[in-house]
Amino acid sequence: MIFEGKYYNGQSSKGMPAQITLLADGLRIDYCADEVTGSVHWELAGMHPSEFNDATTLLRYGKFPQQSISVVDKGFKEALLQQYRGAAFLKSGYNSVLSLGFSGIAIMALSLLGLLVAFLIWGVPALADRVAMHFPESYERALGEQLYTKMLQGYQVNDKKTAALNAYLSELNTDLDYPITAAVVTSDEVNAFAIPGGYVVVYEGILDKMEHHEELAALMGHELAHIRNRHSLRAMTRSLSYYMLASVLFGDVSGVAAVLVDNASTLRNLEYSRTLELEADREGLELLRRNELNEQGAILLMERLQSGSELEMLAFVSTHPNTGDRIKVLNELIAETKRPAKEKPELERYWEQLKGE
Amino acid sequence: MACVIFLINFSPYFQTFMTTTLLEKEKQTTHFSFTGRGSEYFAIEIVNIVLTIVTLGLYYPWAKAKSLQYLYRKTELAGTPFVFHGTGKEMFIGFIKGLGVFLVLYAILIYGFISEDPGTLLIAYGVFLLGLLAILPLALHGMMRYRTSRTSWRGIHLGYRGELSDMYSTYLIGFFLTILTLGIYGSWFVVKLRKQMIDNVRFGNVRLRYVGDGGDLFLIHVKGYFLSVFTLGIYLFWYTKNLLHFYVNNIVVLQEDGTYSRLQCQVSGWDVLKLTVGNILIVIFTLGLGIPLTTTRTMSLIMNNTVMSGQFDADALVQTEEAYDSATYESMSDMMDIGVI
Ligand SMILES: [Zn+2]
Repeated sequence: MIFEGKYYNGQSSKGMPAQITLLADGLRIDYCADEVTGSVHWELAGMHPSEFNDATTLLRYGKFPQQSISVVDKGFKEALLQQYRGAAFLKSGYNSVLSLGFSGIAIMALSLLGLLVAFLIWGVPALADRVAMHFPESYERALGEQLYTKMLQGYQVNDKKTAALNAYLSELNTDLDYPITAAVVTSDEVNAFAIPGGYVVVYEGILDKMEHHEELAALMGHELAHIRNRHSLRAMTRSLSYYMLASVLFGDVSGVAAVLVDNASTLRNLEYSRTLELEADREGLELLRRNELNEQGAILLMERLQSGSELEMLAFVSTHPNTGDRIKVLNELIAETKRPAKEKPELERYWEQLKGE
Repeated sequence: MACVIFLINFSPYFQTFMTTTLLEKEKQTTHFSFTGRGSEYFAIEIVNIVLTIVTLGLYYPWAKAKSLQYLYRKTELAGTPFVFHGTGKEMFIGFIKGLGVFLVLYAILIYGFISEDPGTLLIAYGVFLLGLLAILPLALHGMMRYRTSRTSWRGIHLGYRGELSDMYSTYLIGFFLTILTLGIYGSWFVVKLRKQMIDNVRFGNVRLRYVGDGGDLFLIHVKGYFLSVFTLGIYLFWYTKNLLHFYVNNIVVLQEDGTYSRLQCQVSGWDVLKLTVGNILIVIFTLGLGIPLTTTRTMSLIMNNTVMSGQFDADALVQTEEAYDSATYESMSDMMDIGVI
């Protein structure tokens, strides 16, 4: 088979009209321009891979400076594919993808998009959780201490109540490996939160709402469960990994360092999933049982939070949704194991100190 | 720094591919064109992304080489496409070199942040900036040598004959003058840098010249800045068009016989506006997956609206480059390609 094309010899940009013959062992190119005529033979092994050809087929041959031919004839491409099936210069994984056509490409793109979304929704949190769970305890403690100090800078600490709360906690059997450090801060907000490494911040607003110390014990049990199960650390690594992903995408690497330092403010607004909250509720109840306290404390605490005046924004409730559901679950758990509660004068005493003005 | 980044983004294509002439006698027009299709390039990039993810990023340089091969193959001058000869292996080496340098610099910066000590941070930031300053000329030089030597058209290779020392002196003098003049010299600096890069490009026996004037660029910036502010940003598209014209239309192609031609870019402000708005919408509604489409749209707009007018004789080019795989191309800088365009 013979095709018409242009031949470039690698020395000049002048395209010489040429006749290209497909032979068994390669191409023969007979060119003719002005006074110059000649013929070259291209062995298959010396031909360079040619991808992305369209109506025009471009083939290149040999070492620098490469010779090349260009043939504007769709038949040439097909003839090459037929004659030299499987030859190295015709192989291209990309061309086979391009030949999939529109629907094939669309399916590939959609599955990639699906994978991407799945990775963002499940992959990132799972990876972040793994990182959080393998975080050495000493680092967790150091990180928590830094965050705790940063966070308290924005508040006024009530020293008397803080001392009473810490004394109360030391009387409780908390079953936690960490030493616990708690602080009571002056604020009307009804809120409390756990910081990784054994730190707890309680707002005066939530203490004012309580009437029994069992409610405090239930609250502490809940927050300490967040700490023991590294809920806050996990939530932090999650939000941090999304942040890191975004910074890598937008090429702002120095931002990551800034966020590492400035996580204290975001910690306040961390939300845990419903499962984690229920887990913390259940373990909080465990703490009441271990200390032989009235388990109704947990219910009272929930009801207290639920029945806040309409206009009052309850921060604790806003980051802990589904209070009604949680009361139901707690009630079921309590009904399972009815146990008598004991009086705890020591705890009562510190509770009085906490409540006293 | 901003102007330098801008320049990096625009230069490689134009300095290698463009020319214009204003001569009166028998002016002829040679067209550039882009024949790539969004769907094809999209498919190539999808394969690239999948392979890059599967290999945990190792495939990236090969992916880069493939997309460049496609984009070059679909860019035509006088009906003949360009060929990109770079390989994944070469780009891998270049990528590792570039990555190594940047990792070190960023590690220093992040160390400064983590230390939380203002003094340390300041020193780290200083080292980071000095490092960037020292590495950029080398990177520009390496990129020019690499990209030009790996580009051919009708079998004729481009080449770069600039000296690294010239690049350093142009760059460092310009940089410090820009700082001393509080940025005003920046326009002249950019033009000097473009001259250094473009004037040293060979396209076979054809030479390129950059004839832009720093004063003109300065006026474009001043006008662009104030009108953009007054029009609440709408003028930005025309500002971009003016910059594009300034960078492209000042490139002159000189043939050995003394004839020359000039590049002419006919993109209008409206074109830039439509392109930009369309690209933004594509990126948003495809969650970023449509970025390849924005590349082909941009290439189409620019290439299909750019011509070379003058006496360009497409048949008269003669090979003048030596084989690029010779030892002269093995120095540290040659393959350092920070991967722009
Ligand atoms: Zn909670």
